[in-house]
Amino acid sequence: MPDNAFFGSEINRNPGQERPGYISGELGMKRIVLSAMMLGLLSPQAMAQTITASIAQDVRSTNPGVNRDDTTDGVVLHMVEGLVGYREDGSVGPLLAQSVDMSADGLTYTFKLRTGITFHNGETFSAENVLWNWTRYMDPATEWRCLAEFDGRNGLKVESVTAPDAQTIVMTINQPSAVFLDALARTDCGMAGILHYASVNEDGTWNQPIGTGPYKFGTWKRGEYFELEAFSDYVTPAGSAPDGYVGAKKPLAEKVRFYVISDPETIKAGLLSGTVDLAAVASTDVPEFAANPDFNVADSVDASKHTLSLQVADPLLSKVEMRQAIAAALDLPTLVTQVTNGYGRPNNSAIFPQSMYYSDVQKQAFAHDLDKARELLAKAGYKGDPITIIANKRPTTPSFETAVVAQAMLQAAGINATIEVMEWGTQLSRYFSGNYQMMAFSYSSRFDPALSFEQFSGPKDTTSGKVWNNPEALKLIHEGKAVSDPARRQAIFDELHTLLLHDVPMIIYSNGVNDIVSNKRLQGVVSWQSKLRLWEVAKQ
Amino acid sequence: MLKFAISRIIAAIPTLFIVSVSVFFLIRLIPGDPASLMLGDLADAASLADLRSRLGLDQSIPVQFTIWLGNILSGDFGRSITSQQEVLPLILGRLRVSAEIVLIAVLLASVIAVPAGMIAAWRQNSLTDVALVSIATVLLSIPAFWMGLLLLLLFVLKLGWLPLVGYVSISQDFTQGLLYIILPVATLLLHEIGVIMRMARASTLEVMQLDYITHARAKGLSEAAVMWRHAFKNAFGPTWTLIGIVLGNLLGGIAVIETVFAIPGLGRLLVEAIFARDYPVIQGCLLMIATIYVLVNLVVDLLYPVFDPKVNAQ
Repeated sequence: MPDNAFFGSEINRNPGQERPGYISGELGMKRIVLSAMMLGLLSPQAMAQTITASIAQDVRSTNPGVNRDDTTDGVVLHMVEGLVGYREDGSVGPLLAQSVDMSADGLTYTFKLRTGITFHNGETFSAENVLWNWTRYMDPATEWRCLAEFDGRNGLKVESVTAPDAQTIVMTINQPSAVFLDALARTDCGMAGILHYASVNEDGTWNQPIGTGPYKFGTWKRGEYFELEAFSDYVTPAGSAPDGYVGAKKPLAEKVRFYVISDPETIKAGLLSGTVDLAAVASTDVPEFAANPDFNVADSVDASKHTLSLQVADPLLSKVEMRQAIAAALDLPTLVTQVTNGYGRPNNSAIFPQSMYYSDVQKQAFAHDLDKARELLAKAGYKGDPITIIANKRPTTPSFETAVVAQAMLQAAGINATIEVMEWGTQLSRYFSGNYQMMAFSYSSRFDPALSFEQFSGPKDTTSGKVWNNPEALKLIHEGKAVSDPARRQAIFDELHTLLLHDVPMIIYSNGVNDIVSNKRLQGVVSWQSKLRLWEVAKQ
Repeated sequence: MLKFAISRIIAAIPTLFIVSVSVFFLIRLIPGDPASLMLGDLADAASLADLRSRLGLDQSIPVQFTIWLGNILSGDFGRSITSQQEVLPLILGRLRVSAEIVLIAVLLASVIAVPAGMIAAWRQNSLTDVALVSIATVLLSIPAFWMGLLLLLLFVLKLGWLPLVGYVSISQDFTQGLLYIILPVATLLLHEIGVIMRMARASTLEVMQLDYITHARAKGLSEAAVMWRHAFKNAFGPTWTLIGIVLGNLLGGIAVIETVFAIPGLGRLLVEAIFARDYPVIQGCLLMIATIYVLVNLVVDLLYPVFDPKVNAQ
């Protein structure tokens, strides 16, 4: 690959053959190219110190946990860190905290802060900053999207936050909670990132993030690119390698630039031309890059869930035998192979495979059995009524492909399945209103099993979008959120999985697959949870 | 002329009002809610209610419309739901990008296609005519996004001459700007050459069959004089109208090309806003596009007498 990220061809020209001021044909083009390089537009040295990546849509804002989406979190969390963060197995570890201790009653958390940490503006990080940030997050005017997780509206309430000394923070909560630290670490909450006061203007409006992360804010050309600069005074957490959002986090490149490129073909061209060093690509493009000696492919399974949701309130699907028949009619390993081009792995559990709670019980799966499916259909009194599968054609999820394969499998069992394709916004509206029979729907990542089950479970009378409303399951989920003992939690989650396989409110068939292609000039690229983490990544 | 222009501008006001009312209500008829799209599947009832309240979506649609219209009349187009940017500067910034590409492409396409169409008509049924018509048909038949990808493949991947993504205004830096817009301009240019050339040929053929052309030739005028002084002025009218329509169409509608070349233009902004149900941006973009159509058509009408003396702007 060329050193220069933009231009792949060597420039040879003979000045003697040109007329001054005359630009024509190939020679003219080369003059333009040369001029650009002389202007320092794209000096190879500068580009070698800049890692370029592509993101499918622009960053929404730089305000952590406020105006965000998954792409925004991925970029912003290079600049901002919280007290705690996720490890690769979905557990929570200290980040700006040195350690976290929970009291015996489960109501008081003591965070000992790391020393020697500075913000991007050189100011020292201390407990005072944490107090200021917590006050800001809990102020409704901040519009923090996770406020309801901590102010009691969703059960958990932070009663007090104090700083006994400059390196200690004590948080008291209203009830024992196994997911309190998880909520603090959530990426959609911006990791409750600790910012310097100067991140906001005097009138309280947002300015730009001055955090403690390995990269600091550089340039943002909206709709074009977002550039980060290495934070030279960054103090990495302990660890010899990155571990989710904790572990080693050194910035090894001078700059990181995220180009906004939404077209998959352009992303592919970007990788091949060297404009883009790394990008998430469609699984259909993976074999081509895997066979190319200039590229590495890193793939991983994440905690997102690809599902076929069933509307248990639908007259036809309210019969458990009908739902069980649908599950028995589906050959899920084959479906997964088809819709992920062979890169996905079947998983019928709400818990992702890397989780410490992914036990042998969680590996139990729906059994494909056409005879049993027909028997269950007869028991349910099925008379060939149509069942509509709603799907969308977003390139990021295999919704439509799933609907097509599932339709064929269901028809083979004698179920009159049809497909209705709609745009994502419309489908989401139907999901939240509960106005559907079956839906090929993907859920974003939730690391903690209790939160993963809760994502699709709840009483339908108050939250029509929830899929699973079995009171026994809801009680178990509530218990799973409160109990901290891992052994007890494991038992609860195993019981939930067994119940899920019996009830079939939805058919979880696999987790998301992240295929990251990077050129071989990059070292240290690891695929994890659809987040581009560019610390500990070097460019030669 | 001035009276005509003023009357056309006044006549545009009800048009723009009807457009704004239609856009406001039609976009809200589409299922989907910006708050749930922003929060996605992670939304809980409390967060959803919070966000809907902050965005003003919990108010009735007539109330939302009244507020929006009042703000528009005072020059406040609101803020984007997703990016929180002010809508008017956002749209104007994106329009500038699209306009730079579209104006250059349409100007070049006109300069190439109009003479080519006239030559094809002048040499009707000759090898030149067949070749030019064939080229025009091929260019017209190739979808713009595919043409863009082919150019990208050739000039970025194979030859490595041009950058893949990015944008710099040529008013800020001519050399850099040129590098970034060559491919999108070329893509549009090639497509529009086909469109304009066919119209120029057809209208020239029509004029060439009229008696006054035969009369001009009978007077002994040279073919160049016949074509330029007599045929061109009368034949260019319909082509000029078409150029106006093409211009209006492209200024708000090159989303596909902007997506292929990752250019932050108006069309891409509109498409992204529709997917996100970003109502203020959708409304602002469509109002802007309607205004562009009105203005482009006004300019075309005002300039018509310059090309066709039979037409009187009064």
